Amino acid sequence: MSEVLALAVSAVLLAGFYAAMAYGLGLIYGVLRVVNLAHGGLIMAAAYLTWVLFTRLHIDPYLAIPVVLVVFFAAGVGLYRGLVRLLPRGAEGGVQSLLLLFGVWLILRNLAYLLFSGNDQAVRTSYSTASVRILGNSFAVTRVVVFGVAVIAMLALHLLLRHTLLGKAIRAAGQNPRSCTLVGIDVDRIYALTFGIGVALAGLAGLLASTLFAFNPSYGAGELLRSFVVIVLGGLGSVVGIAAGALVLAFAEVFSIYLVPSYLTAAVGFVLLVVVLVARPAGLFGQRVLG
Amino acid sequence: MRARLVRSGPRIGWRLPAWAPARTLVLFVGALAVLYALPLVVPMGDYAHDLIGLTFMYMAAALAWNWLGGYVGQISFGHAAMFGVGGFVAARIALSTGLPFWAGWLAGGLTAGLYGLLWGHPTLRLRGPYFSIATIGVGEATRLVATYWDPFTGGSSGLSLPLGQGPTKFALYWYGLYLLAAVVALSWWLRRSRIGLGLLAIKEDVEAAADVGVNATLYQDLVLVLSATVIGVCGGFYAWYQAFIDPQDLFSFDRSIGFVLMGVVGGIGTILGPALGAIVFVVVQELLLASYAQFYLGIYGLLLVLIILFEPLGLSGLLLRLARRLGWRPAAGRAPAIAAGPASSASTTEPGPGGAT
Amino acid sequence: MRDSRIRRCRWWFVALPIVGALVAVGCAPAQHSKQAAGAVTVPDTITVGATLPLTGTESKAGGFYKQGYDLAFDLANRAGGIDVGGKKVKVQLKLLDDTTDQAKAVNLAQRLISQDKVSFMLGTYTTPLVQAQSVVAEQAQIPYVNGGGAALSIYNRGYTWVFGTLASIVNLSTTEMRWLQAQQDAGKLPKPARIAIVWENTSHGQDFRKGIQDWVKANPGRYTIAVDESFALDGKDFSAVLNKVKAAKADLFMADAHLPDYLTMQRQYISTGMCNKVITYGARGAEPDARQALGTKGVSYIMSAVWWNAQLGDQGLNKTFVDQFKAKYGTDPQWYQAVSYEAARALFAAISQAGSVDKTKVRDALSNLKIPSILPGGTLSFPAAQGGQASYQFVVQQNLPDGSSPIIYPNDVKKADGIVPNPSCK
Repeated sequence: MSEVLALAVSAVLLAGFYAAMAYGLGLIYGVLRVVNLAHGGLIMAAAYLTWVLFTRLHIDPYLAIPVVLVVFFAAGVGLYRGLVRLLPRGAEGGVQSLLLLFGVWLILRNLAYLLFSGNDQAVRTSYSTASVRILGNSFAVTRVVVFGVAVIAMLALHLLLRHTLLGKAIRAAGQNPRSCTLVGIDVDRIYALTFGIGVALAGLAGLLASTLFAFNPSYGAGELLRSFVVIVLGGLGSVVGIAAGALVLAFAEVFSIYLVPSYLTAAVGFVLLVVVLVARPAGLFGQRVLG
Repeated sequence: MRARLVRSGPRIGWRLPAWAPARTLVLFVGALAVLYALPLVVPMGDYAHDLIGLTFMYMAAALAWNWLGGYVGQISFGHAAMFGVGGFVAARIALSTGLPFWAGWLAGGLTAGLYGLLWGHPTLRLRGPYFSIATIGVGEATRLVATYWDPFTGGSSGLSLPLGQGPTKFALYWYGLYLLAAVVALSWWLRRSRIGLGLLAIKEDVEAAADVGVNATLYQDLVLVLSATVIGVCGGFYAWYQAFIDPQDLFSFDRSIGFVLMGVVGGIGTILGPALGAIVFVVVQELLLASYAQFYLGIYGLLLVLIILFEPLGLSGLLLRLARRLGWRPAAGRAPAIAAGPASSASTTEPGPGGAT
Repeated sequence: MRDSRIRRCRWWFVALPIVGALVAVGCAPAQHSKQAAGAVTVPDTITVGATLPLTGTESKAGGFYKQGYDLAFDLANRAGGIDVGGKKVKVQLKLLDDTTDQAKAVNLAQRLISQDKVSFMLGTYTTPLVQAQSVVAEQAQIPYVNGGGAALSIYNRGYTWVFGTLASIVNLSTTEMRWLQAQQDAGKLPKPARIAIVWENTSHGQDFRKGIQDWVKANPGRYTIAVDESFALDGKDFSAVLNKVKAAKADLFMADAHLPDYLTMQRQYISTGMCNKVITYGARGAEPDARQALGTKGVSYIMSAVWWNAQLGDQGLNKTFVDQFKAKYGTDPQWYQAVSYEAARALFAAISQAGSVDKTKVRDALSNLKIPSILPGGTLSFPAAQGGQASYQFVVQQNLPDGSSPIIYPNDVKKADGIVPNPSCK
């Protein structure tokens, strides 16, 4: 029983991280209808930025959050203004933006490779092997902190979207860009801001990942896929939906060790992705947007 | 309807089918003959010889990817799954039965085709990005299972094929050429036949296509099975070429990416394009191999971005522009504009015949 | 219209067999004419081809291998070259970067053989790359000596041109088990002892697991295998597999991992409050990187077994190697440099013994080679029974809280007594 409990707590902590990964992807898709295939690459880039800040400037990874958010927000706005905006929106633009951002991912991978070589890196702080006891079991401090940050990010995103003017404009732009223009909202500017926020959230996820796992320039493919699973599972109904999707994925992965060899637990998510996409095509993805 | 769109060949005793005009056929056979005789006439090193053989295989694979990615507009990021299935079935057959290598290729191709149908039939209902994402999931799940499935794939130790049996690397040049020739002919037929028109309709608008009586499910399934089968045969070719295969390499995400890059960089939806893309892919890797191997992903990323932004028809689009500038005009009466990229602005005419080279 | 299509088809059916027949005739003679080599004269310089992962995920290890090769070539040339049939011949290494990519390793080997016309090759690093690359050498009939592939699956293919200085990982786990059994006999470990095997899903891990499984089978009643799980190379999260080990209450935690995975896994191991009577990560454990990342306390009492250890270097050949290495690079050599150094040395010795640069003669010399060596056991040979893979015991070392990692087994070279059960477990 205590073993099940330990696994459950472990799954909840993992779900926090998964949710943090998925926010950015979900936001950008929900509003711009663009699948940010560079998401994984941006997570990887943020992990490296955190690592550089930590090893060169000795800034604690969790204190570096504002820096990473600002840098990646700017990068996101730049990415939108420089590239994504040039493509047609809607169905035909979908595949093109997919390939374009995929190209961006390849470039990011190669840049990271040239700058930092292919060796695995990890952010190792004085507390990275410390543990706390929760419900009679030990868990790494970093995992608990990551969970906390993810919850705070969720609340902040929720407040931003529901209770600010900007949030209202973002939601409106996602629902009906044409009427936004009619009521005087600069849709292009909203898109740029949304893309910036989405990429900043990817940056946050990368920062959190760097404190938990080792990474190298190829890091991010699995994270991208898991983010998809979360979004597909949770739908785009709300930020809370993403959290729910993350919980489902994390529990499925953690508890699958009873059914499949632990080597295959990663495949559980991928299979889940395909099954859900097929069982509810467009349904889960194409739901109401963040409202 | 076809008669209006596609001019039939000139009458010279016997008539050609509508999808294969005489000029094209002559060019095709001519190119085949030249490539066939090339290594027998021109002395080239073993290295170049083998590499060209491998390039034929990649060209065939890129064309097969393009049937789905270009003709139907369903970008697959998971084709390595079928490549691996084909490769391992072929290798297993070579190791555990006395059947000749081509039987292994065939069996590998068919298994890959069936596997494609298995995941493709449900997922092909998804369009655009959803389909692409689903294929990433399929590819990665297949890779993990294949790496774990020790008794069949040898797990991470992979499989070594018996040396001294089956085709030598030297002979594989010609088998690669046949494979490519068959795939080029098939590409041409797919494009020019009634099915090709149906696929085009599906690519533009699935629902509208259904309204005019195109059975989208059947057509897409058919194209996926064909594509998967050819990719599977390519996997079998690769298994014999390398004589050692392991799942981490055959099923890798980078391999799936490779097919996408060849197709898109060369020019999606055309015949010349993916073939050109495959050549560029191999040549670029070759040039960078000795000293700048670490640059190649970045170069492809950059190419991809530039192509999406400025030239949706890729390298073949560039060639076409160049040809136009030099005064070349596509033959009158040829099949009308075939939209390649959804937003292809400048050039939408299919490039000229002779796609084989 | 329909009629014409049938005719067209018929045309094709005639054409294809003709083309096919042409090929059968055309390519058959061409491939046999390739192997006609003239009389072999001894050149002034012998160029040896090799690729290594100088960039990519294994770049660190690739750099170590390069040091080993370079040192061997330097020393040989400083002695005037190698003696081939009475003539002193210089040696030169043509080294290319395979970027830890299998296809590139194969491609470059092909290029070295057919464009650069090398007659001998040294191997690359990590088993999959060696396994793929050695096929090219075997096909081209080029003697191929590697220090980077340990898997049984490289040597059980019946190849006759491939030789390796790395003993099998089966020997690694067997050596560890032999030492553990002695501790069990001394009453320091329970009987039966519950083993958790956690192996990386690569041939490295497969062989590690095989060694333990065979040992357990050969010694009934002494051990039970409580957990037998694999994980993916470059895994980022090992909580699933560690949860299983924890639930199984194992005595011996026997994992096999590469350096990055060892670091990640051990970190998660500590932070989930796990502790087993014996911990090993196969060949990893004593790396300075690990001590730095996890702290001395975090890696204390971890046992590891390696092909070679600088602590062996206090006499004879070993002393020469360690001294020369320090003089050239200013650091202590690790096993990576030792096995690559030995691979190059074995090739030189074989060329010298063959008295010729004839490939077949050198291959035969390699098969019969028996030279004094820095590797454990003191003699290097490539027994045909092992498919050309060297076979020797590993050296087992254990991390101590004072930051040292003395050799604890085999007994004739041990510097300290091993400590079990793990004193830090409560």
